[in-house]
Amino acid sequence: MDDKISGRVWGFGDDINTDLMYPHICYTLPEIDRPKYTMWANRPGWASQVNRGDIIVAGRNFGVGSSRPAAANLVGLGIVLVMAETVNGLFMRNAVNSGLPVLRMDGITQWIAEGDIIQVDFQNCTVTREQDGSVREFNRIPDLLMNIVRSGGIIEVLRSQGYIDSEPL
Amino acid sequence: MEPGDIVTVSVDRVILLDIAGQHPELIQNPPARVFDPSKISVVFDHFVPAPNVEMANGTAKIRKLVKRLNLNDFYDYGSGGIAHAFAAESGWFYPGQIVANTDSHSVAAGAFNMLSRGLGTPELMQVMCTGKTWFAVGETLKVDLSGKLSGMSEAKDVFLKMAGDLGDMPNMNIEFAGDGVMALNMDQRTVISTMCAELSVEFAVFPGDEVLRSYVQERGVQEYSPVSPDPSASYAGAYQLDMSEVVPMAALPDSVAGNTRPVDDIQGIKVDQCTIGSCANGKLSDLEVAARILKGRKVHPGTRLIVTPATQSIYLRGMELGYIPTIVKAGAIVTNPTCGSCMGGHMGLLADGETAITSTTRNFKGRMGSRDARIYMASSATVAASAVAGEIVSPSSIPGGS
Ligand code: SF4
Repeated sequence: MDDKISGRVWGFGDDINTDLMYPHICYTLPEIDRPKYTMWANRPGWASQVNRGDIIVAGRNFGVGSSRPAAANLVGLGIVLVMAETVNGLFMRNAVNSGLPVLRMDGITQWIAEGDIIQVDFQNCTVTREQDGSVREFNRIPDLLMNIVRSGGIIEVLRSQGYIDSEPL
Repeated sequence: MEPGDIVTVSVDRVILLDIAGQHPELIQNPPARVFDPSKISVVFDHFVPAPNVEMANGTAKIRKLVKRLNLNDFYDYGSGGIAHAFAAESGWFYPGQIVANTDSHSVAAGAFNMLSRGLGTPELMQVMCTGKTWFAVGETLKVDLSGKLSGMSEAKDVFLKMAGDLGDMPNMNIEFAGDGVMALNMDQRTVISTMCAELSVEFAVFPGDEVLRSYVQERGVQEYSPVSPDPSASYAGAYQLDMSEVVPMAALPDSVAGNTRPVDDIQGIKVDQCTIGSCANGKLSDLEVAARILKGRKVHPGTRLIVTPATQSIYLRGMELGYIPTIVKAGAIVTNPTCGSCMGGHMGLLADGETAITSTTRNFKGRMGSRDARIYMASSATVAASAVAGEIVSPSSIPGGS
């Protein structure tokens, strides 16, 4: 992952839960087909409009729900960052473990809207809104988590530590 | 330790579930070795028995992993139940323990004065390999319970009342306190702690009191040290609830936190399906209350009732005590222990446009089947009463229920 990313924003409201991001039908589909059902119940057709490098900006309590790999579906669609007012702790870990950074920022939904382009600088902990050049700071993601994101997710960390069996099940 | 800090901890037990077999991360990259096979339990619960070939293939892979890694503490079909409930009844949960599980309702274990939080399958692999995990320290809300449940109100109603008042509180913890706690048995405490996942909290912990002591002693746990708050502990806030004033409550469709009402306010909504079950409300006490309400009555012809006990031993006790025969005679289906329709897995999914009332744990859009279905959530008593009426009603409206 680069220290600076820039992308187009998709806007979502409050309480976007894991079952919306990863509907139960995904459990029976081949891995490659699962992301197509992201937000299937609340925003049909959205998944097919997402481009690689896009960003989600959402309201409160993003990712409430289950331990299912909801973040992996976002990664599968090409989402590179999630920003929300508040974020469920389990979703946050699952995202990081899938190599997807997540930022909490109070007031983000009043500042950034769907269609905006934003630039995020992880080194300096800033977000810039391209349209007007306005800048806000965010709290640094703890190193423990950022290192997992930089490694490409927890499986890659485990692989580098020699824990992964080369023979699949 | 301050809120925002991250602490690394050693775990006492890891619980791996059948659903891990649906995760390509694990299937393609299985762990080569684990920190201690005797500390890893494997429990099949989500898709039991396998409802389709994909699930059958996934569970077959987990059985292969069990053999490869010598994971001998393994509970296949017919031997366990839904992990949170099975772990409690097996004496795996007791004060001071730290348990890692691949399921978001792991917060359930907080009823036992200990810590457990859900983790994704890839992260659980890390814990299986290293025996360690991390927690983010969060602020804590003190929930002071007083009084006793009255009438037809249940622990689920206590939670739904709390959920309506508190709303979501991501990254925070709940500490339960007050005289009211002593009036709750362990089944009731686990309903509340399990459901706290719906508030987005990290942990929801009950005190280590005498009720808990006798529960774990009956399950062979003698030695442990209860944990209690420091006298100087500071809290983000306090919330008081007199349980004697709690009336039957329901969550409206699509979310739980900040979305609950007294059942009386929504009575009369027709329901196509009623479900009693899950790790929270598939307990013996749920079968008991359902049987009490259904005795001598019939499920309304305009609806259907599906009852899913949480564990094999609850299933068996429910038969021995006559609850299950009573429920079956009323025209309900009683399934084997499994997560089943709670997460839209199998055995009772909802069709397009249907309305359901459930005592399971989540009412998210699309969770229990069709994305066009509406899911209300309430206590098992309210669900059983609604099954008799064919529409949402308070259990106190069914004579003889109490
Ligand atoms: S019963 Fe429902 S909430 Fe409980 S573990 Fe199973 S799917 Fe999760």
